[in-house]
Order: sequence, then C-alpha cells, then structure tokens
Amino acid sequence: MGPIHLFDIASQQARWLTVRQTAIATNISNANTPGFAALDVHPFQDVMNRTQLTMAATNPGHIALGPTDLPSNAAKASDAWEVTRSGNSVSLEQEMMKAGDVNRSFSLNTGVVKAFNRMLLASVKS
Amino acid sequence: MIDPLQASLRIAGAGLEAQSTRLRVVSENLANAESTGPTPGADPYSRKTITFEGEMNRALGVQLVHVKDIGTDRAPFRVEHDPGNPAADQDGFVKLPNVNVLMEMADMREANRSYEANLQVVKQTRDLVSMTIDLLKSQS
Repeated sequence: MGPIHLFDIASQQARWLTVRQTAIATNISNANTPGFAALDVHPFQDVMNRTQLTMAATNPGHIALGPTDLPSNAAKASDAWEVTRSGNSVSLEQEMMKAGDVNRSFSLNTGVVKAFNRMLLASVKS
Repeated sequence: MIDPLQASLRIAGAGLEAQSTRLRVVSENLANAESTGPTPGADPYSRKTITFEGEMNRALGVQLVHVKDIGTDRAPFRVEHDPGNPAADQDGFVKLPNVNVLMEMADMREANRSYEANLQVVKQTRDLVSMTIDLLKSQS
C-alpha cells in the first residue's frame, strides 16, 4: 500500500483557501478605492501542478515564497463582473459568492480530515 | 507574511475603519447641509469628500486600505434670495452649502453596504478559524 497523502493535500488546500480568503478580504476592503483591480488566486489545481521543491527558510529573516503565498499567487482577475467609472473592478456580489465558495470548501476539507482522522484512530485502537 | 486568516481579519478591520470614516464625513455633510457663513456674504460650509487608497503594510505583507484624503468639493454654492437671513449680502442673496442631501443619502447607503461586506468577511474568517479549531475537538 502506497503512502497516503491525504493530510498533506488537505492542509495544502486549507492553506490555499485561507490565502484566497485573504484575497477576498483585500478586494472587499478596497471596494471603494479608485483604480483598484480585483485580485484572485490561481486555481488550486494549477497550484498543485506547479508545486515543487522550495527553498528552505533556515533563518527567520528569510522570506518564504511557497506555492501558497499570496504574492506569488495573486493574479489579476480577468473575470470581473463590472468595472466602475473610477476604474475599480470589485463587485461585492461576486466577492460574496467567492467567500461562500471558500467557506463551503473549507468546511468540506475539515470534514474530510476529521473523518479520515477518525478512521485512522479506529484502526489504531482496534 | 503572517497567517492568511489573521491577515484577512486585519484587512477587513482596515476596511471597516475606512468605511466608518466615510460615514462620519457623510454625517458631517448632512448635518451642515444648511450651514451658512458666519458673516454676511461669507462662504458657507463646503461639502467634504473622501478618497481611499490601498497601502502596502510591510509588517503584514498585505495591502491595507486607508483614507487617502478628506478634501472639499469645489462645486458652486447654491444661492437663494432671502434678505432676512443674517448671512445675506447687500443684495439679499444667501450662499448655501453645495451639499445635495439625496447624494449624501446614496453615499451613506453605499458606505453602509461596504461596511456590511467587510463585517461579513470578519464573520466568515472567524468561521474558518473555528472550523480549524474544531478539528481538535469532537474526536470522541
């Protein structure tokens, strides 16, 4: 039986989701900033596909640039619903839907992790 | 960069602060919608405007919104003929503020909506955090 990467993948997705939540928070707080272009993160599948070895941060002063950090992930969203006269492309409705999406996925993620952990515990205990 | 969820909370907090400052400006404008000048012929209260800008916070590694500038609207004042008014000039004309109450109301609604959206982000982020914490419990 091969190794099970579920916890790995789950924690990676959880990190991706929290980064996405940060992007959404940035968009919403800048909903009235002139000239602000809405941000979004790359889809999780892309992040998974280009995951590779990253440089180790051996000193607190090192800047960690992992695949799930915001700066390397924030991309200009091209699918903005509307651009206002001031050049702001944040749509609150769209951001709310994205936030709901993140919430749902995170809930599913933690649910799966919880179930898997229970399974592991059951097999260990018996 | 700090934990993304903590960062989200800080970002939404900055948004809340910016929007409440905006609401304060709106209420100033509304309260002074009829404030004339102190002396005859003097300029009345002029409408205040507010603009926001995103600023990179180096400690957090994220962009926080903050108030860029509270300026004044240079639109012309309303002029009414009211010789009995203490602020009327010698021809009997009074300059009234360039505040449009309807516009302020619309602005207030928008500030309110943005404030609610930021609050929603705070709530949702808190949900995510508690979901993560819940992983530790209920493992009976």
